[in-house]
Amino acid sequence: MTGWRWFWRLASFVVGVGFIYGWQMIADAKLISPVFLPGPDRAWAALLRGFHSGILEPKLVGTVQRMIIGWLLASLLGIALGTMIGVSPRARKIFGPTLEFLRPLPSSAIIPLAIALFGLSEGMVLGVIGFGALWPMLLSTVHGFGAVEPRLYEVSRALGMSKLSVIWKIALPSSMPDILAGMRLGLTVSLILAVVGEMLTGRDGLGNWILLAARSFRAPDLYAGVILLGLLGYVSAQALAWVESRLLRWRAVAR
Amino acid sequence: MPQAFAPEQTTTPSAPGGAAPLIAFHDVCLTIAGNEILRDISFEISRGEFVCVVGPSGCGKTTTLRLISGLMHPSSGQVTFEGRPVTGPRQDVAIMFQDYGRALLPWRTAAGNVSLALESLGVPRSERADRIQDLLVKVGLKGQDKRFPNQLSGGMQQRLQIARCLAQNPSVLLMDEPFGALDAMTRQALQDEVLSIVAATGATVFFVTHDLEEAVYLGDRVIGLLPHPGRVAKTVSVDLPRPRDQLSSRETPQFLHLRRELFDFIKEAEA
Repeated sequence: MTGWRWFWRLASFVVGVGFIYGWQMIADAKLISPVFLPGPDRAWAALLRGFHSGILEPKLVGTVQRMIIGWLLASLLGIALGTMIGVSPRARKIFGPTLEFLRPLPSSAIIPLAIALFGLSEGMVLGVIGFGALWPMLLSTVHGFGAVEPRLYEVSRALGMSKLSVIWKIALPSSMPDILAGMRLGLTVSLILAVVGEMLTGRDGLGNWILLAARSFRAPDLYAGVILLGLLGYVSAQALAWVESRLLRWRAVAR
Repeated sequence: MPQAFAPEQTTTPSAPGGAAPLIAFHDVCLTIAGNEILRDISFEISRGEFVCVVGPSGCGKTTTLRLISGLMHPSSGQVTFEGRPVTGPRQDVAIMFQDYGRALLPWRTAAGNVSLALESLGVPRSERADRIQDLLVKVGLKGQDKRFPNQLSGGMQQRLQIARCLAQNPSVLLMDEPFGALDAMTRQALQDEVLSIVAATGATVFFVTHDLEEAVYLGDRVIGLLPHPGRVAKTVSVDLPRPRDQLSSRETPQFLHLRRELFDFIKEAEA
């Protein structure tokens, strides 16, 4: 079936190239004013220019840092809280409904609250990222703990395992697929909130760069920032997928 | 199987005079949510004895095993181990489950699954690797240490569970229909391996099965349970000589007679 795989890979490549080509055609035909829509050529040039002049790099670094620190914060907290709630079926019942209520709450809704608490600071941005990315991680951990094969708990009792090693050696690895799915969602949320946070607080980063570019009609710069964010999202998702395939190797092996 | 000679295996089913039984049920009753599962179960198991339990489904075979393991507790009466009431699982009592697909950790390799038992026993890391290799060789899984359970056949997964049980150095093996889901050839091979392991270690075995021939072939004694509620209805001693052989032991008149006796018992129960 490798032939088919190459076919699909080629097809996806054609779609990508077609998209860029179509964009170029529309821009060249000036269907939309070049003030608002530069072609991919100008956007690419702006991207290179941004890196050559050394302006773009610190902004990229800033956004990446915010995203990753916020995400790690949320992951640690989410998995720890999820474990505490997940280990006890009673705690799952007690906290479950409240968590389900808090989860769909858009994180942007708590931004005003966060600004009131922390001001327009770095801490506020990280707090919002942490809050937003926490839920998928927390809930997937709780869910994963709820889905542990009961037989394995009997095995652990028969072996006289301590509560802590049951969590570490049975419940957590068993929940790992769920937790990683939550972390993937959390990563997307982190990127979104990092950008929104930068736009609101004016902290140096890609979000702020895009906003300022738009306000001063530097459309190529704006698109360069958007392209960079797209790449960032893609690369981080791929990196996590790689980690996932390593950690969940036991699932991929031939059945 | 020449290595299967061991003095323990020649002990007669009835406890040697004066010796206290290893495991004893004293008028054990179990009621769960108004359902009477077991009524007045009383029997004894001597050290080194191989006891098989048969009976129609729903007669409480697995429940009696779980009572010995300490995973469950009786509503009234007592289960004792070395004369003391069973309060919970013990590390020298190993349990082998029928559903190998669920009882193994799918994210750990064969070696990792055996290691779980060693870790729980507090075996130092430096000693684990050698012990794991020995155990895997012993159950015929040499060279499979890096494979995950879902890469192993059903028979191999069950061998892996045996290895994990043996890692506990158990004085008692509780086996809950361990070979029920395996094909006939694999089952016979594993039966003989269990027999030789038991002969070598002198472990006491409590073996739940629905296969009457298996019970006679393996056991020193077969206990027959009847359902609604579960109770002991029959006990037969199996005086077939050991080591046993899949062909010749199964062809002896005693074997055929015992098989017939248990067959009639089950048929009567299900009538």
